[in-house]
Amino acid sequence: MAAQAAATTFNGNLKKALAGLRRINLEGLRWRVFDAKGQVLGRLASQISTVIQGKDKPTYAPNRDDGDMCIVINAKDVCVTGRKLTDKVYYWHTGYVGHLKERSLKDQMAKDPTEVIRKAVLRMLPRNKLRDDRDRKLRIFADSEHPFGDRPLEPYMMPPRKVREMRPRVRRALIRAQKKAEEQEQGGSQRKGRKREAKTEVAA
Amino acid sequence: LVDVEKNSLFASSFRGAHSRLTRTITQQRIRALVSAHQDRDMKKRDFCHLWITRINAIIRGVGVSYSYSRLIRNLYNKQLLLNHKILAQIIISNRNCLYMISNEIRK
Repeated sequence: MAAQAAATTFNGNLKKALAGLRRINLEGLRWRVFDAKGQVLGRLASQISTVIQGKDKPTYAPNRDDGDMCIVINAKDVCVTGRKLTDKVYYWHTGYVGHLKERSLKDQMAKDPTEVIRKAVLRMLPRNKLRDDRDRKLRIFADSEHPFGDRPLEPYMMPPRKVREMRPRVRRALIRAQKKAEEQEQGGSQRKGRKREAKTEVAA
Repeated sequence: LVDVEKNSLFASSFRGAHSRLTRTITQQRIRALVSAHQDRDMKKRDFCHLWITRINAIIRGVGVSYSYSRLIRNLYNKQLLLNHKILAQIIISNRNCLYMISNEIRK
């Protein structure tokens, strides 16, 4: 416990991170680490949910919970495709008439980036009595520090993915953006002279 | 035992009136026997379902886009008559054996 407390650099979240650990029965479980940096949200969440349910083990049984402990780091660097950053909206109803609240992905990431992944994974788990226990096995951290450094952790390799090639309109927009960036650099160099030229040459 | 006593002995562990009142005892006994009859067939289905899930779990670890369905297709093509129960038992006891089988079949 002292080693763990010394290993953390953020004591505010320590309580939340170690919250329900005593309730989780078996300690024959592995601790798998998922790095969310650059991963697409839904695809990462589906892999996490299979691991949390214990569906990659040969001793899977639907009536008991035997999933591994999952630690997700770099939650704030998780990516989404398309316009979801502004257009994906989380809705919830408070129970009072007319009080349907909403919050977009952008605001949620600003407020609490761990909730994005947690909601995604939770909504992929089967809705049964084991769902809360499985939620307790999932620990998400926004940056890459976590207080479980002294446990035997195993990094999880995401399965290779066929990234579909960009749609023509998006590709044209990307090319235009690249050209604009190059022109800006060149335009800046022509104005300011030799120092900027040296910099662009080094960059290129 | 007399028939009436046999009847109530069957329902002796039921809850409340279902173990005390004769008419409800006969009704509940009939329902229980029907459930037992149906569930004997469902048990076979449930276990097959469980074995399929387990096989799928391990087979996906073999390689990219290799899954339970492909394994079964390969098994049928090579006319290998292993059933799901045996496959699941192989996985639990001796996983390498299943990897060897699947590699042999894939060729």
